[in-house]
Amino acid sequence: MIADNPRVQGSRSIETYSWKWMRLSAFFLIPLVWFHSIIQALITGGGNLSLEYVQTRWMFLGWRIYDIFLLAFAFSHGISGLRQVLFDFIKSAHWRSVTNWALLAFWLLITFIGAIAIIGGVRMPG
Amino acid sequence: MPDNTTTTIKGYIKYRGQGHYAFLMHRISGLATFVFLTLHIATTSTVFLAPSMYEMLVRVFRNPVVMVGEIIMAFFVVYHGVNGFRIAYNDLFHNELWAKASTRSALGYVFITAFVLWLPAICIMGYNLLKSGLGFFGGE
Repeated sequence: MIADNPRVQGSRSIETYSWKWMRLSAFFLIPLVWFHSIIQALITGGGNLSLEYVQTRWMFLGWRIYDIFLLAFAFSHGISGLRQVLFDFIKSAHWRSVTNWALLAFWLLITFIGAIAIIGGVRMPG
Repeated sequence: MPDNTTTTIKGYIKYRGQGHYAFLMHRISGLATFVFLTLHIATTSTVFLAPSMYEMLVRVFRNPVVMVGEIIMAFFVVYHGVNGFRIAYNDLFHNELWAKASTRSALGYVFITAFVLWLPAICIMGYNLLKSGLGFFGGE
C-alpha cells in the first residue's frame, strides 16, 4: 500500500517534509508555548481574563506577532500530529485522501478565525 | 485484507518494550492538547467575532471543573513538550540515543522532568482553584 504509492518514496516526499516539520516546529513551540503558558495561565490566570485584558495585551504589536507565530506553529503541528494518529487507523488510499482534505479544510478554517481575531483585535461591545 | 483497526488497537494495548508507555502518553497528551488548542483558538477568537460571547465564556473558565481540567491539561502539555524534545533531539541530532539502554534511562528523566515542571502549575493553578473557584483564602 504505502510502498506502492510513488508520493511517499524518496527523500523529497510530502511525508519527509511532514516528519521534519513535526520536529523543527517542536523546537520553536517549546519556548513559545512555555512563555505563553507561564504568562497566561500562571501569572495572569484564566479567571482574570476579560475583553479589556486582551485589548491591553494586543496594544503591543509584539504580542500580536508572537500570537500569530504561536497559532501558525501550534495548529499546523497539531493537525499534522492528528493526521499521523488517524493514518494508524485509516489505511485505504481513498479514505486517506478524504482525511487529508478534511484536515486541510479544518486547518485553514481554525487558522483563519484565529488570525482574523489577532489582526482585527478586540471589538468592545456598545 | 486483515482488520487493520484491530491490529492497531492491539498494538497500542499490548506492551511493546521500552518507550511504549512514553509513546502512548505522547499520543494521548497530543490529542488532548489538540482538542484544547482548537477550543482555545475558537473561544479566544470571539473577542473579535462575538465579543459579548467572550464575557460569557470567561465565566465558564472560572468553573471549578474547568479549572481542574486546566491543571490536568498543564501536565499533558508539559509532558508532550519534554518527551517531544527528546524525540526531536534524538531523531535530528543523535540517532544513537534510540538504543535500548539510552531510551531506558531517558524515560525516567522524561517523567521526572515533566512532573517537576508541572509542580508550579499545580501550586499556582491549584491555589487559584481553591481561592476563586471554591472560595478558600477569602476568595469569592
